[in-house]
Amino acid sequence: MSGRFLRWVGYGIAAIAVAFAVVLASRFGTDPGLVDSPLLGEPAPAFALSPLEGGEPVALEELKGDIVIVNFFASWCLQCRAEHAALTSTADAFAGQGVTLVQIGYQESPPASIDYLELAGRSESALYLADPGSRAAIAYGVFGIPETFFIDEEGIVVGKIIGESDALVLGATIDAIKRGERPGQSVTGDTSQRPED
Amino acid sequence: MSDGPHRNLERSMSERLRNVVTVTVVAVMAVTLVTLVVTDRSQPDRVQSIGQRIKCPVCQGESIANSPSAMARDMMDVVAEKVAAGETDDAIIDELLGSFSGAVLLDPPAAGSTLVLWLAPAIALMLGVVVIVWWRKHPTEHRPSPRPRARRIVPIALLAVAFGTIVVVAGSFLQDRAGPASGVAAIDTENLDDVSNETMKAVIAANAGHPEVDGMRLALAQRYFDANDYRLAFPHYLAVAQSPDATDTQAVTALVRLGWMAWDGNAEVETALELFDEALAIDEGSVTARYLKAQVLWCGAGDLDEAETLMQDILIDPDLPVDSREQVRREIEAIRAGTACK
Repeated sequence: MSGRFLRWVGYGIAAIAVAFAVVLASRFGTDPGLVDSPLLGEPAPAFALSPLEGGEPVALEELKGDIVIVNFFASWCLQCRAEHAALTSTADAFAGQGVTLVQIGYQESPPASIDYLELAGRSESALYLADPGSRAAIAYGVFGIPETFFIDEEGIVVGKIIGESDALVLGATIDAIKRGERPGQSVTGDTSQRPED
Repeated sequence: MSDGPHRNLERSMSERLRNVVTVTVVAVMAVTLVTLVVTDRSQPDRVQSIGQRIKCPVCQGESIANSPSAMARDMMDVVAEKVAAGETDDAIIDELLGSFSGAVLLDPPAAGSTLVLWLAPAIALMLGVVVIVWWRKHPTEHRPSPRPRARRIVPIALLAVAFGTIVVVAGSFLQDRAGPASGVAAIDTENLDDVSNETMKAVIAANAGHPEVDGMRLALAQRYFDANDYRLAFPHYLAVAQSPDATDTQAVTALVRLGWMAWDGNAEVETALELFDEALAIDEGSVTARYLKAQVLWCGAGDLDEAETLMQDILIDPDLPVDSREQVRREIEAIRAGTACK
């Protein structure tokens, strides 16, 4: 009786241990940042950031009524470089249509971001802001860049793209928000962390 | 004889010493415990303590208190500011959770799917105790081996559990990697009905020179053309007509539209006819190019013979829809009758 009981207990423990170990092992290599942002459906975290060149801070509140695209970027981020033309052309195409692109430098000195934008190009309708101390990046829960948030006219976060975006996805997301939809979150590719990290 | 009292004295002293040590240790522990509980922790301690619980978002399994990364240092600064502002530990952590989600906690929360991680040690301990107690109650009992069938089934069942888990986990892992099932990137890029002109413009601008952008240019130009906005349609048709990557069909479409706009928009007969001829040089059988060229010959150049010849050529095409065939016939009769075109 006792021998059989112990054997079954042993088998049970072994089965649980195997299943547990497999589940744990499967998590290796997965990016913990690929979780749904808790900001989706919530009011966008407020910020007031100065332009990269300095000057009066721009508050998110001032842009209420527009669809705001908040994109965190840096010159050291390859995916950011790859998507830059799409962001710029989207800002240009939707200029004057109630859409504002806000690009926020992430973990980078403003002069480095300015040098990068000199080469990569800017949209005249977009805002390029500095984030000293990463206050905005922390408020938006940025795990790696590029991360792009979509804020609707009411100031609610309704979309997020993790990874490199393209003009069709950006534009179609804006179109969807204009129709009153909430596109949600998508992972389009890898993100980057600052090299020295 | 003289050892008795001496030994008693030694024993008594030893017991007293032991009691003193015990009381001292207990007292020190109690004072320490009470101090820890009652005394307010200093702000730096609280910052450090909260920092130990928060995972550095740009690191692998490191707390923001221990990571040297710039992001971790910035997060520690934020925590310090909030502690200095009088926020509680829980409020500070809740705020970070509201931005980063539970993935920013170094220890998984003792709730939901991660509750099992917290319960696992207790369950294992209880099972161990049960096994030990049972073992001690039946120390030498030897039972005959279980039946051969049971002996075969149990390992197979174990393997099945492990295999099933691997399949389920691997399936979900691959699904995660394959891309999102919903969300902004799941937009149907084949169906452009819901895509605005601005989005098309952005795609074209961002992909200038890309071979596949000609299709998007034609789709956008068609919208402008249908809206009679030739000014906006023109640059896109021109770009496709000049594109080395455009297919013959795309090039013919662009040239035919350019020809029609030259005639309809600017009354430029010669330019229109040249563009139709360019289209026909690429695709001699293009019904649209022939039909529109015939229209311009009839209405613009007044070359009725050539217009009729072209119209007759169109009727040879066996694939011409019945409605179109009837319209061409009516127009041939009108040309023959010398009726002015509409």
